[in-house]
Amino acid sequence: MNILTMLWKNLLGGSRTILFPARPKVSARYRGLVRFDPALCTGCAICRFRCTARAIEFKAGKGEFTWSYDPGHCTFCGRCVEGCKSHAISQDPACPPVYLNIGELKNSYTVARKPPAPKPAQAAPPAASGQTADPATEVRNERS
Amino acid sequence: MNLTTALARLLVFPGVLFAVPFAWFFLWVERKAVARMQGRIGPPFMQPFLDFIKLLGKDTPVRGGAGGLLMRAWPLLAVSAAAGAVGLLPVLPSSGGFEGDLILLLALLEVPSMCIIAAGFSSRSIFGEIGSAREAVLSVAYNVVFLLAIVSIAASQHTFRLETLAQLPPSFLRYLGIAAILVCLPAKLHLNPFSLPNAEQEIYSGPMTEYAGPELAMWELSHGLEWVAATGLVATLAAPHISLAWLAALLFVALSFVVVLLLSVLAAATARLAIDTTVRFYWQCTLIFAVLAISSALFMRFRS
Amino acid sequence: MNLWNKLMCYSRRRSPWIFHMNSGSCNGCDIELVASLSPRYDAEQLGVRLEGSPRHADILCITGPVTRNSVQAVKTVYGQVCGPKAVVAIGSCPATTNVFIDSRTLDGPLDRHLPVDVFVPGCPPRPDAILQGVAKAAQILADRAANKAPVVSVLLPLAEPECACSCAQADKAAAPACEVKP
Repeated sequence: MNILTMLWKNLLGGSRTILFPARPKVSARYRGLVRFDPALCTGCAICRFRCTARAIEFKAGKGEFTWSYDPGHCTFCGRCVEGCKSHAISQDPACPPVYLNIGELKNSYTVARKPPAPKPAQAAPPAASGQTADPATEVRNERS
Repeated sequence: MNLTTALARLLVFPGVLFAVPFAWFFLWVERKAVARMQGRIGPPFMQPFLDFIKLLGKDTPVRGGAGGLLMRAWPLLAVSAAAGAVGLLPVLPSSGGFEGDLILLLALLEVPSMCIIAAGFSSRSIFGEIGSAREAVLSVAYNVVFLLAIVSIAASQHTFRLETLAQLPPSFLRYLGIAAILVCLPAKLHLNPFSLPNAEQEIYSGPMTEYAGPELAMWELSHGLEWVAATGLVATLAAPHISLAWLAALLFVALSFVVVLLLSVLAAATARLAIDTTVRFYWQCTLIFAVLAISSALFMRFRS
Repeated sequence: MNLWNKLMCYSRRRSPWIFHMNSGSCNGCDIELVASLSPRYDAEQLGVRLEGSPRHADILCITGPVTRNSVQAVKTVYGQVCGPKAVVAIGSCPATTNVFIDSRTLDGPLDRHLPVDVFVPGCPPRPDAILQGVAKAAQILADRAANKAPVVSVLLPLAEPECACSCAQADKAAAPACEVKP
């Protein structure tokens, strides 16, 4: 009679349905829509290289670049977020909306390239030739 | 029973005018009850009616020749037979009737499933043929029990006239027969656990695979009318005789509703059985009771 | 618009019957589609019924990036769905072939072969997003009914050619050849 008890409990306890058009909340760690911060972006295009689905497009121009993202292509894997050194990309816990035409959800940003950072003052010349300043050989020496 | 009474019973109450909205209501009750028992909300109240209207507005595929004509005829025949079966039910106390109308009622109750079988074969689709074969096997299995139960009820009360059966006080044998009929109803109405001809994920839609649009609307309507006729038969057999017309009608509605709820609980509580288990259930388990019922009815008949 | 037309529009919006077809999907979107029939999301509250035969359905829900093996089947099933119909592309695979872009085994995306009405993005989309897509498609069907001239097609056998619509640039608002002209 287990099933009858279950049915009775369901009848008494009310339904657990989420009434349309309400939607359940996603957790804070949900990997959803990619958010781009143009202020932090350096234009390295690693995100375009790592994107598995060609959702991110990057077009370099003179002194500026265009970065665009289409959630319709995206597979929400997060490789772009992992690869970004300047943390300009993150994933919101948000789902992309339903759309009617291809490319409708795509958004582009045209970002002016930042001028290069000023160089620090000239350092002192290197020490006597006995010491090797070559970092690669230094590492090798440490390991052997 | 004169012509006006017959037409009133067929067309007004408990005929088409009453039975069609009632059929939609019962279809909704079943879906809603099953949904609530599964912890869901289920469809809104007007859902079967809106499904019907929507289907009327859809196109039908082109079908040539005699096969196409036949395919169009089966759902209409099923609806007419089911409506006729509902019209024959002796709901009101002075509804008239004729000797042997129980037999006509049984025949009319059989016609929709015969139409489903024929429709599946005439659609010339492999899924239709498989579904029809299943429906045919199921029909043979439960019909033997069903008919034996009805005949035992009629034989024990010495009459094949529905009105007389409704007026006589029910005996123990009648309740046994009603129990047997209730066991056959899930198979007749394609409910779990005997919903094999409708096995969607296995054989597409079985006999209904090639139907669309208004024809499908007619099939859904005949299914609803079958609900009303089958549950109404149980209600009229189980109800005590009441001389007030409106009270009798109310009791009929209430008893049918109870039967629908019982069937919904069964449908929600069970899963679909395979054809061999179903047939084994009917032939091995219930047949013995039906045989017992009819033999005791005949024994009592010949003894008295 | 007379009463019958209003009733028809209302019933088209409130009774969307769907047929699900997988054109090479990884099954993630298929799982989310049947999850939308489960108690938590309950597609039946919208009147949605998952139908067993394409002839019964109004809305064709297609998942998968349309592999070369499945193209003919997709077109045939689309032709078998009786008008008026709508197509919902579930997941990002039918819309854009997602990660399988440039694959030699694909013949996608879906709108090269069928007129797609609604795209539900996601990989896989959440069941509530799928329900939103189906509801949007039902609304589109209702709007199309509102724009058509009144048609009374009760029980009359209306001729409709069974075509496999390979309409790549079909105008979504106009009816494809399968639908009945008033």
